[in-house]
Amino acid sequence: MWRRTVVVVFVCLGAGQVLSNAQEFKLFDRTVQVHGFVSQGFVYTNDNNWLTMDTSQGSAAFTDFGLNVSAPVTDKLRVGAQVYDRNLGQLGQYHPSLDWAVVDYRFKSWFGVRGGKVKTTLGLYTDTQDEDFLRVFALLPQSVYPTDLREATIAHLGGDIYGRLSLKRHLGEFLYTAYAGHRSDSIYSGYPYYFSSFGAHITSYGGLQYGADLRWNTPLKGLLIGASRMNEDITGKGSAINAFNPGAGLVPYSEASKADWINQFYGEYTVGRLRIDSEYRRYWRNQELFSGTSESFADVRGWYVSGAYRICKRLQIGSYYSRYTVTNVVAGALSAFYPPATDTSLPADHDYDKVITGRVDLNKFWNVKIEGHFMNGYGSGPYPNGFYTQVNPQGFKTDTNALVVRTSVYF
Amino acid sequence: MKCLTLLLVGAGLMRFASADALAGDIKVIANSSVKADVITAVELKRVFLEQNNSLGDGTHVEPVLEKDGPVHEAFLQEFLGRTDDDLQTYYRALVFTGRGSMPKELDSDAEVVAYVAKTRGALGYVSTATSVEGVKILAIVPAGNAAHRTLITRVEPEYPETLKYLNIGGTVRLQVTISAKGNVEKVEVLGGNPILAESAISAVKQWVYTAGHSRITVEESILFGSHP
Repeated sequence: MWRRTVVVVFVCLGAGQVLSNAQEFKLFDRTVQVHGFVSQGFVYTNDNNWLTMDTSQGSAAFTDFGLNVSAPVTDKLRVGAQVYDRNLGQLGQYHPSLDWAVVDYRFKSWFGVRGGKVKTTLGLYTDTQDEDFLRVFALLPQSVYPTDLREATIAHLGGDIYGRLSLKRHLGEFLYTAYAGHRSDSIYSGYPYYFSSFGAHITSYGGLQYGADLRWNTPLKGLLIGASRMNEDITGKGSAINAFNPGAGLVPYSEASKADWINQFYGEYTVGRLRIDSEYRRYWRNQELFSGTSESFADVRGWYVSGAYRICKRLQIGSYYSRYTVTNVVAGALSAFYPPATDTSLPADHDYDKVITGRVDLNKFWNVKIEGHFMNGYGSGPYPNGFYTQVNPQGFKTDTNALVVRTSVYF
Repeated sequence: MKCLTLLLVGAGLMRFASADALAGDIKVIANSSVKADVITAVELKRVFLEQNNSLGDGTHVEPVLEKDGPVHEAFLQEFLGRTDDDLQTYYRALVFTGRGSMPKELDSDAEVVAYVAKTRGALGYVSTATSVEGVKILAIVPAGNAAHRTLITRVEPEYPETLKYLNIGGTVRLQVTISAKGNVEKVEVLGGNPILAESAISAVKQWVYTAGHSRITVEESILFGSHP
């Protein structure tokens, strides 16, 4: 895996540098643009293994890249698509996916539609969470943007309506997006991996997603505030070990949403070289498990405050505090195996993360970041959040310090 | 140390003075397919942030930027309120989510003029010293000037042959009442040669401005001949 990672990274870095000057061509008198990125990370933790990697030994199994092609067909119509691939410890494993493929028609600035596989608008960064070069931090706050669960919110196969409404009397403008579609998780993503810790083998995971986002560019220059809502109806299918009779082998497994929603509130303020962000996300999930024989109620809450400052053209620094808590209650037959987890002061039910970062831009297309994480809690409870039992068979320690080094090339 | 401090302060002052001078030295140019003669600062910002790809009159436009340099920096500072790094990040966010394209970026004023001249809807900026043959210059109206209406259709007045032959010209000053929809409702002469004023009135009555919240009155000056 090491060798493969190194080869992929060097090929992509080289291609990135070469392509940075050759990214468009003409086709039927239309300008077609080609853009891409590749990112390579290294993570070292003092104790627990993190993000499905063997980080306590130092891990570079943290590679991702994307390539997109897009073109305007008419003045109002544009099309494009992006392929994305990653390897993050046990996730992704270099199985490429169609990240987005969109037909976008903008009737007016206040009304447009786009359809296909569309990046989901949820909070400040859901749609751009893979492109770390767009911000100072190597990892977004995991309380709100868990990279191991990116596929849960990253895109939907369906459609959006969107627009921008200017308000009278210098009251700023509203930006709205409403969407509906189908989410489909790869079997190499976070949820199937999490279920494998219980001996379950998930073959399909996904369902309906619909929601909306409304953000307000306020009259105060640089201040944006907004709110997002997402509803889901998710079904998972596969096979699992029968908890009551483990020796009987695998039995069919299914789970389905009874209630599944996210509320997210956010604000962003930019003044001069300083940028401050803050977001709050609550994720409520009520599922039927094992064909309705059991039921779980999970309440996941996360928030963060971050600040980033550009010292000079090539150097930025940043810091954030991220706080994640989870509670879970299981009812029905499985309740005997899963006692209620409702005390968020326990390290198994929270993850508090203090982060400092430095970013150096080596040139216009290449940056390097060094980031320190100082975490309390591992939040591994009934809902995954970066810490998994499969890569921590010895059990969890309360605190984890992590060093993340990440470099990205983009064109 | 004192010398160093003075040097740094001096350099800083020069930088600010230079940026101020450049902000006023920018002219916005457009391909001849663009009908408008003026553009508001708000429109300019929206076009360059890819929030709008047409102007009030429906003309399709696409932004053209310079890669770097003082004119580029001054334009970003004055009209977009962003640094080049912030703007690049903004464009990349559009590109990698399928919501926009990287705009054309060129190396020099001359390249921008050449590209704008040959590309339908192209809208760029250059320093005022640049020769702008083959493109039109758009006047920039400051943001927040609510009373202003953008002239989107201009009909040139006829210069009566007799007066032209006799070299009788000058400026006609008119008071123009514009409806909320942007049509010219009333034109009154404030000054100038009465014969030239008749011609001016007849032309100005055909002018169309952008729509607004209510009726407004503006003053227009029209020059006949080369001397005011």
